[in-house]
Amino acid sequence: MRGPLAAFLRKELTQALRDPRMRLLLLVVPVVQLTIFGLALNSEVRNIRLAVYAAPSDTLAWQAARAAYASGYFLPSPAWGQPFDRLRAGDADAALVAAPGGMALALAQGRPGAQLLIDATNTVKARAIEAYLQAAAAPSLPQPPGGSAGVAFSVRVHYNPALRSPVFLVPGVMVMVLLMVTMILSSMSLAREKEMGTWEGLLAAPLSPWQLLLGKTLPYFLLGMADLPLLLMAAKTFFDVPIAGPLWMLALGGASFIACSVALGTLISTAARSQQQAMLGSFLFMFPAMQLSGLMFPVENMPAFIAWTAWLNPMFYFMELLRNVMLKGGAPAIFWRDFGMLAALAALLWVLAWRRMSQTLN
Amino acid sequence: MSRFAARRAWAIAGKEWRHILRDPFTLGMALIMPALMVVFFGFAIDFDMKGIRAQMVDRDHSPASREFGRVLSASGFVRLQAPAPGELPLTALGLGRAKAVFTVQPGFARSLAQGLRATVDVDLDGSDNQTATTLSAYLAGFQQAATARLAQPPPRALAARYLFNPELSSRFFIVPAMLALVLAILCVLLTAMTVAREWETGSMELLLSTPAQPLDIILGKLLPYLGLGLAAVAAVYVFARTVFGLPFAGSHLAFLLALLLFLLPCLSQGLLISVLARQQVVAMQLAMMSGMLPNFLLSGFIFPVESMPRFFQLATMILPGRWFVLICRDAFLKGSGPLDLALPFLMLALTGGLLLGAALARFHKDLEP
Repeated sequence: MRGPLAAFLRKELTQALRDPRMRLLLLVVPVVQLTIFGLALNSEVRNIRLAVYAAPSDTLAWQAARAAYASGYFLPSPAWGQPFDRLRAGDADAALVAAPGGMALALAQGRPGAQLLIDATNTVKARAIEAYLQAAAAPSLPQPPGGSAGVAFSVRVHYNPALRSPVFLVPGVMVMVLLMVTMILSSMSLAREKEMGTWEGLLAAPLSPWQLLLGKTLPYFLLGMADLPLLLMAAKTFFDVPIAGPLWMLALGGASFIACSVALGTLISTAARSQQQAMLGSFLFMFPAMQLSGLMFPVENMPAFIAWTAWLNPMFYFMELLRNVMLKGGAPAIFWRDFGMLAALAALLWVLAWRRMSQTLN
Repeated sequence: MSRFAARRAWAIAGKEWRHILRDPFTLGMALIMPALMVVFFGFAIDFDMKGIRAQMVDRDHSPASREFGRVLSASGFVRLQAPAPGELPLTALGLGRAKAVFTVQPGFARSLAQGLRATVDVDLDGSDNQTATTLSAYLAGFQQAATARLAQPPPRALAARYLFNPELSSRFFIVPAMLALVLAILCVLLTAMTVAREWETGSMELLLSTPAQPLDIILGKLLPYLGLGLAAVAAVYVFARTVFGLPFAGSHLAFLLALLLFLLPCLSQGLLISVLARQQVVAMQLAMMSGMLPNFLLSGFIFPVESMPRFFQLATMILPGRWFVLICRDAFLKGSGPLDLALPFLMLALTGGLLLGAALARFHKDLEP
């Protein structure tokens, strides 16, 4: 490739990759991050510290406690002092307090045999604790006559039968890391030229506005596309996240998402006057977009006046696309809808960036 | 010449402050964004799943099975839809039309009438872990409610009581921790850029040719952002108490102390990055990678630290956000005594001191010819 555009592209790529630390940040750190978060995060609640307050002679209570500890979700915590104080001090997550006089007596009288105190500062954890404990303790408690009657559920979990967290979270973290790398870099590169005063030099160069736009964005697009297979490989090898669907779907989806993210970065940088502003601007977009993308909180569970923002959020579509292709094998209807929305958003953002760019030039 | 003079540090702080004031965008972001986010997320994020899309396939067509459907709907957790004709449960899950499909098998009513166990098949979409896990936790409640309505319920052996947040309000869970998160991110990001900017634009040489000593410069750089951080906290605190009606069970004085102790490591982390990077792009990436993601994902904000593998439980000890999330939840909801919080306080002071020391040492080294 020759001509001013090629020279400009070369300059941009050299600038981005000149610093060895930057090469590390762009190509190695994303994979390391993915690995760390994939290993650490677990949406299943574990290691619940359970303190048992029961008389040593209360065999029923201790049976229930032993069953809970044997389930693997609970850890013993010493029952010192008052249960409430233990929970408040954060030394235990839950306390099983047997009824005075023993569980057997209370149950025989038709009262609850024990009270389960749960620290509810984390509401998700609190619910899980109750569900786990009720399930673990139930077999060890005496069945009342006719107790087996009633409704029971037989549950099957699809696509991720063991509900392994990496399978759910790794695609999400991939989206996050990709967005961070591409959007921030592209937003800061133009702002940097403005801050350093080299922007005027570029304007004086024989480059048309679209060449300028392309030169400022294409390198970051390419860097993002280089990160995508790295992240996919890490997801597959380290976490055994399945890639059930075809790779071309991932490539197409990735390309359209990265196009969105780079265009957004450019849009921000046309408005920003310094790198600090560009950074804060990216952040202002990124943080809400991340939380409202369905990465951790289902969007449909949000109030309507916020949920609609998901319709404009590229992260939302890419997240859905990744989960659909990687875990479910890529139902075409869903894929084309998500890809279509991503492509439409990318086109819209590019037109906006283009218009802003030409305005800056005049 | 003395190594440190309050007057010089103050002068540098004044200069830095003017930098901030001159840039209303940054100032506005620093003040409004945290409050905006807390309000936004206080409204948006609700761990009580309501209206999860679910389907019910009724193969029994009995009054009992219809009653079962009404019990499910009445809980408010699921929004029941009838499946499209001939659609299999797996198709509905695969196309994302439902997160869960309840299939009532034939003989449901008969089993109930005979005092036997009547089974309902539940298919969950495991590609959305969060919803699937939450739904499985709700199933116990559905089961109890349905049994109570349709059969003779057995007496409950264990009565659960939720402490510190009896209504299990997600807001009480999210908002205090959000305070820690927003502050951690904002302070690291803002300070990470400051020293790097001076190096990049060449004004650091100017600053060094003045009588100001390294400690003066570092402290002068920290002070204005400390002020900004405190102002942001005040705004968030007012929102949390008024808009969300959060209680404040702890002592305000202890909380203020914790806040200062927490801002120190955050600001120092930003400074260290800034001194190391010398370039704003690099500083920014480092701040995002070391400040934003760990504080978001590893601090216990959503994913409990105790549920992590042992290694990460230990590794996150050096993450100030982890301790401050704990302190915030405690101060707002629990109000325990100072002795119970000795470890978090200690760890904050320790990491703050270490990071500030490292930033200072590194800065000194840079200045040696």
